[in-house]
Amino acid sequence: MQEQLTEGYKAQAETLMGTVPGADSLRQSALKEFEGIGFPTNRTEEWRYSDTKALRAEEFALAGTSTSAEIAAPLGETAARFVFVNGRYAEELSDLGDLWQAMPIRPLANHFMANPDRATELIRGNDGVSLLNTALMRDGLVLSVPAGIEIDEPIEIVHVMDGADQAAAHTRHVIELGEGAEITVIEHFVGDASAYWTNSVLQARIAEGAKLRHVRLQEEGEAATHTAKAYVNLDAESEYYCVNMSVGGKAARFEAHVRVLGEEADAHVDGVSLAGTGQNHDTLTHVSHMVPNATSDQIFRTVADTRGKTAFQGKVTVVKDAQLTEADQSFKALVFDKTAEANSKPELEILADDVKCSHGATIGQLDDKAIFYLTSRGIDPVTARKILVEAFTADALVNIENEALRETLVERIRVWMASRAENVGAGE
Amino acid sequence: MLKINDLHVHVDGTEILKGLDLEVKAGEVHAIMGLNGAGKSTLANTIAGRDDYEVSAGSIEFEGQDLLELEPHERVGEGIFLGFQYPVEIPGVSNLNFMRTALNSVRKYNGEDDMSAAEFMKLIRAKASELGMDAEMLKRFVNVGFSGGEKKRNEMVQMAVLNPKLAVLDETDSGLDIDALRIVSEGINAQRRDDTAILLITHYQRLLNYVQPDVVHVMIDGKIVKSGGKELAAELEEKGYADVA
Repeated sequence: MQEQLTEGYKAQAETLMGTVPGADSLRQSALKEFEGIGFPTNRTEEWRYSDTKALRAEEFALAGTSTSAEIAAPLGETAARFVFVNGRYAEELSDLGDLWQAMPIRPLANHFMANPDRATELIRGNDGVSLLNTALMRDGLVLSVPAGIEIDEPIEIVHVMDGADQAAAHTRHVIELGEGAEITVIEHFVGDASAYWTNSVLQARIAEGAKLRHVRLQEEGEAATHTAKAYVNLDAESEYYCVNMSVGGKAARFEAHVRVLGEEADAHVDGVSLAGTGQNHDTLTHVSHMVPNATSDQIFRTVADTRGKTAFQGKVTVVKDAQLTEADQSFKALVFDKTAEANSKPELEILADDVKCSHGATIGQLDDKAIFYLTSRGIDPVTARKILVEAFTADALVNIENEALRETLVERIRVWMASRAENVGAGE
Repeated sequence: MLKINDLHVHVDGTEILKGLDLEVKAGEVHAIMGLNGAGKSTLANTIAGRDDYEVSAGSIEFEGQDLLELEPHERVGEGIFLGFQYPVEIPGVSNLNFMRTALNSVRKYNGEDDMSAAEFMKLIRAKASELGMDAEMLKRFVNVGFSGGEKKRNEMVQMAVLNPKLAVLDETDSGLDIDALRIVSEGINAQRRDDTAILLITHYQRLLNYVQPDVVHVMIDGKIVKSGGKELAAELEEKGYADVA
């Protein structure tokens, strides 16, 4: 099977040669490595809680074009909106606002024209999924925010999948923030009910004193496979705030690889997963402290309904020289019944001796006493559960400064809880 | 208002209430006294409708209605309030939001519109101030980090906001110092009207110095064994349960 898949993906890559000038040799080396390792399975430690059956069973073709896609409504006021349909930039659906006046915006294909050496800075990946993203990337957004530029309203990247049964979109976004720049990027993932695969990589470099806020809302279709990775490098005194919300997809995974490369940098990776019946939501983080005097913090809250599954694997590496690092990690999972599953695997790899690192993990059910307390004040049980789940996830959303955006995400939690109540019947 | 007839209740398969009878009329304050394990809290929780309290026989009527047919939140809508012996901490939910959701749930149950945010703020600030609760505490998470006394005071603020017909107060006096006890008692007395009733569940007589009951009941082993006027409380204090019963 693996051989057949490899041949298929090789043939796909052939058709893409030359589409992103400067990236062809990178494609080839990624393919070669993919040929050796294939897709991850549950025997791969980093993927032990994931569901990669769909990826290993059958080839996903390159998704074709679509003009009939339903485009999700913007998540509030935005400075610009970039829409990708089936992995390709859709100019007519996008709205660049005044953003182009503030910074260079390029499609991935043009990124390396001026400076081909930059192509070598593209991350190649370390597993079958990210290697294929490199081998098959076709389009993406390249934003270069000049030093000192601050954009208040979010820049939204919408990923839409439409009519792409057994087909995939491999997007690659590159975001570079100059010194002291500050932007918010929202990534919104939506799609129809076909069995598609979204495979997205975002890489970001945050220069000294710059600040990137990165909010992801994953609302893929019910049969979708979603694999996404963020690779983020932080220079001195820079800040990264990532909040990931996973709601959709059949098998959905998000990885954040954060490298703290400058002192007094501050990285936050937070997330909420809401896994309904039959869904698998999986998060892996790896924060590497490479220099002294920096901080990182991770807050993850997951909720799993009947036969839903969530997992969090959080790794923090502190190299020998990274003294005075402060790194915290908090994971809490809710399971609605015995068939729901939550997994957590914190991992601290600390080689420095003067650091403050902590992690905590709890898994439990909604507190019956709290539900009774709320209902004994006149609140119906469905609303009581909603209130408690909303409160449970709140810690993971506090780092979203934009109140309207945070409220939009909280509303997703309420809607999700409302659909649970319908499924299980009001009152119980 | 409240009529309990031959009530039998099991908790985890053990019979705790063994044929309890009680009638409370509008305008009355009743005190139920008894030692630990007599079933006082079981009675309170059964009236409120906690689901692990299984009624195996008997009936509870509230204003002519079969209370056992109603869900806990519906009972509140009908006008019943339970003051908890151990109020629950709810991290992530502010006191204000909690109370506003509660009040509007009860209004909705009774076919009334939501109270506006401004009107609600006025109401809750007034009630908090009457009960000596710092307005800052309203913004905090429900009971999180509250002292024992603050939690009980918070219960009284909730009662005042919901303005129930029947308040069942489970050991509301426990854990209170003398000042807090006085303030809480004032809250209870403010709720005492011709059209309301109060059921005080207590261990000790001291609350009854501040809130004068019309009827005192002695509860032993899941039954009310003796009822009388407020002098019965003093007698219990003096002689102990064994001799009085």
